Amino acid sequence: MILRLLSAALAAGFLAAIVATGLELSLTSPLIVAAERYETPAPGQAAQGTTRALPIVLAHSGHDHAAPDAAPDWQPAPGFQRMAFTGLATLVGGVGWALILGAVLIALGREPTLQTGLAFALAGFASVSLAPALGLPPELPGQEAAPILARQAWWVMTAAGTAMGLYLIGVRRSLIAILGGLVLIVAPHVVGAPPPPDTTSAVPAALAAQFAARSLAVSAVFWTMIGLGFGWAWQSFGSAGRRHA
Amino acid sequence: MTTTTSSLAPVAVRANERLMAAALAAFLGLGLIFMAGFSPAIAFHNAAHDFRHAQNFPCH
Repeated sequence: MILRLLSAALAAGFLAAIVATGLELSLTSPLIVAAERYETPAPGQAAQGTTRALPIVLAHSGHDHAAPDAAPDWQPAPGFQRMAFTGLATLVGGVGWALILGAVLIALGREPTLQTGLAFALAGFASVSLAPALGLPPELPGQEAAPILARQAWWVMTAAGTAMGLYLIGVRRSLIAILGGLVLIVAPHVVGAPPPPDTTSAVPAALAAQFAARSLAVSAVFWTMIGLGFGWAWQSFGSAGRRHA
Repeated sequence: MTTTTSSLAPVAVRANERLMAAALAAFLGLGLIFMAGFSPAIAFHNAAHDFRHAQNFPCH
């Protein structure tokens, strides 16, 4: 059981990462690189006085954990290396989400198939992509935003609340559960995401809007592939020597 | 002091294995997601930067 779950998640994550990396490199990464031209050092940061010597700066100057007088932080070289690390991160993320998807299916006693995989993957997309995007729209480098920790906390709360709410509505299905689920899904948005500072960004609005739409589209495909891939892999890895109880 | 042992029924063993597998997978999965999407370590941030932006993880 454990081996089958781990190998199905690896296969699903790998398949999804191949497709999603292709989409990221062709749809979102070019917009990120374009937006980095508008990136300005965050106020209160040590690098504030430095001139913009590099045409593209990957390590954001506003990062909370950057030591002020440390040596320049490692970052992938522009071009192939940066693309390769984007692919690697997508692979790690894809396998991670596939493991969580598989864990949920198995814990709930659902047989992973193409159908259940897809259904739960769409719930995953709604939980960790769509719902957080309502409060914190996908943003480009150079756009002003609230402190990272506040945004991460709201993101985790919203994702967990939406996932739990969808579980109560879709799996539990009693009246109380449905009402509780709706409350869990709506509550983070009533509380509200950490608001961005009241400043204007140099990033063109058209670029930001296009990025937000593309980001959600890429994420939807990513999740679809994870769900279908996991259902398919679970079935293929189990067909040999598996007894049906 | 006495110790009590109980032998698990086959059904319980199967359910137990299922939950163990799910718990292990969930733990590993959350670890990978933290690494790719949330880790504040600057090297992880820079390596996963474009992925984080594309997948709408809060970034910098």
